Amino acid sequence: MFSLLGGIFLGWSLGANDASNVFGTAVASKMLKFRTAALLASAFVILGALISGQAGIDTLRGLTRIDLEQAIISSVAAGLAVTFMTLLRLPVSTSQAVVGGIVGIGIINKQVNLGGLGKVMICWIGTPIGAMVLALFLYRLLGLIYNRLNLNMFKSDIVLRLCLIITGSYGAYALGANNVANVTAVFVGAGLLNVFSAAMIGGASIALGILTFSRPVMETVGEKLVKLDPFSALVVVLSLSVTMHIYTLVGVPVSSSQAVVGGVLGVGIVKGVNTVKAKTLLHILLGWLFTPVVSCLLALAIYFAVHLQYIPSG
Amino acid sequence: MLKYLFKKESQVETLLYEYLEAFKMTQENFVNALNSCLLNGYLCQNFDFHIRQTHKYESKADDIREEINNLMYGKALIPESRGDVMELLEAIDSIPHIFEQTLYMIQIQKIITPEFMIDDLRELVRISLECCDLMLQQVVALLEKQTDIRSLMRKIDTNESHCDHYERKIKTKIFNSDIDPFERLQLKELVEEIGHISDKADRVSKLINIFSLKRRV
Repeated sequence: MFSLLGGIFLGWSLGANDASNVFGTAVASKMLKFRTAALLASAFVILGALISGQAGIDTLRGLTRIDLEQAIISSVAAGLAVTFMTLLRLPVSTSQAVVGGIVGIGIINKQVNLGGLGKVMICWIGTPIGAMVLALFLYRLLGLIYNRLNLNMFKSDIVLRLCLIITGSYGAYALGANNVANVTAVFVGAGLLNVFSAAMIGGASIALGILTFSRPVMETVGEKLVKLDPFSALVVVLSLSVTMHIYTLVGVPVSSSQAVVGGVLGVGIVKGVNTVKAKTLLHILLGWLFTPVVSCLLALAIYFAVHLQYIPSG
Repeated sequence: MLKYLFKKESQVETLLYEYLEAFKMTQENFVNALNSCLLNGYLCQNFDFHIRQTHKYESKADDIREEINNLMYGKALIPESRGDVMELLEAIDSIPHIFEQTLYMIQIQKIITPEFMIDDLRELVRISLECCDLMLQQVVALLEKQTDIRSLMRKIDTNESHCDHYERKIKTKIFNSDIDPFERLQLKELVEEIGHISDKADRVSKLINIFSLKRRV
């Protein structure tokens, strides 16, 4: 159990940070109480992890052969990389940090599944782009339906509110299904856990992060999305959820934060407004490039530090 | 089921209709007061009664507005709609206030309207109140099916221009007359106060149009 602490910490921080992407809008705008949002998100994250989390776990454990010590090293490296990038105020993806850590171990083992790594990297590029294209399409389609319904002020209010709750729950399901691999896949690869218990422990640790520490992040990160009108916010959350669900089916853990930015960009393109500043995009790009590299280097450094031996002279 | 889940929203909706009813009653009593007393000024027998009635319904509208605002602070509706409802009520609420102020002006300053301006004044009041009726129809359209909002806005805009025209016409007549200069200023003030009714209705109408457009994607 002690060996799992690194992974559980990673899951906890993932839950605390990423729940804001799916329920931030509803909570920050007081459409939904934090407690209700946290309970819904936790329940759906666990459900997602248990029902659809296996594909991602299989992909990550297939990146390299790994033993228990290396699993712990890679998850600690990922955790430290996330902390380091956060301190630098760069947007960080836990998925990228985890893959970076695993690749670091793969370099040590001289065995990296380049095919699997290529698939993962293509999906990383595809996440924001996919969410952006999806947001463009969904905005037009849902906008057409919404206008046809010609709802009055109160009905429109109720419909948007219900849709945000349903979409947020679906987003939490997709988040759990997609990101549980980040938390416990290495331990499945090391033979410490089977897939079901990995999904259960991973899902539960993400849920713990949501329940205990997601409130401030939800309230602050959510405010950035609230500047969008409720309909646009709904489209952003829906495009994030569908994007993450698609990558869950492909079996690659991706970043929900990057999907949100893609969605916001997509809505901005449809509305002809600049929703994301160039500086924010630059930060995302820097985070995108450095997170896996930093995590990989940290995994290498920790591995060498652990295996340093004292050789007495003479 | 939805009504139970969205109890506060349902309460706000009911209260908004009650507010509109109180508005209509304020308007009705204002019209009664003006119609019965326009020729006789403060000497009219039922004038005080109609003032009291106008005040009663204006206060009732204020109470309902307060209740709606409390529900808003209790997080009924999504933030965007909350702001819209409160802004709408604030804009509408200025009109019953004008009704009351106009009657108090006549009562306190003991204004007697000279005969040369009565017909034009009646027309000004009639068109101003028509603006209010159209505005109420527009509010109902916003609360129910969002149709005719633009056409109602155009009608109100046209009526408001007519009111401006009558306001200028009456003021010209006042200052061309040989009545006491002090009375001239009193009458000018009265006409301007009544003229504000259509201005405010026009403002509300444009707000409603914006709120309706905001709900289109």
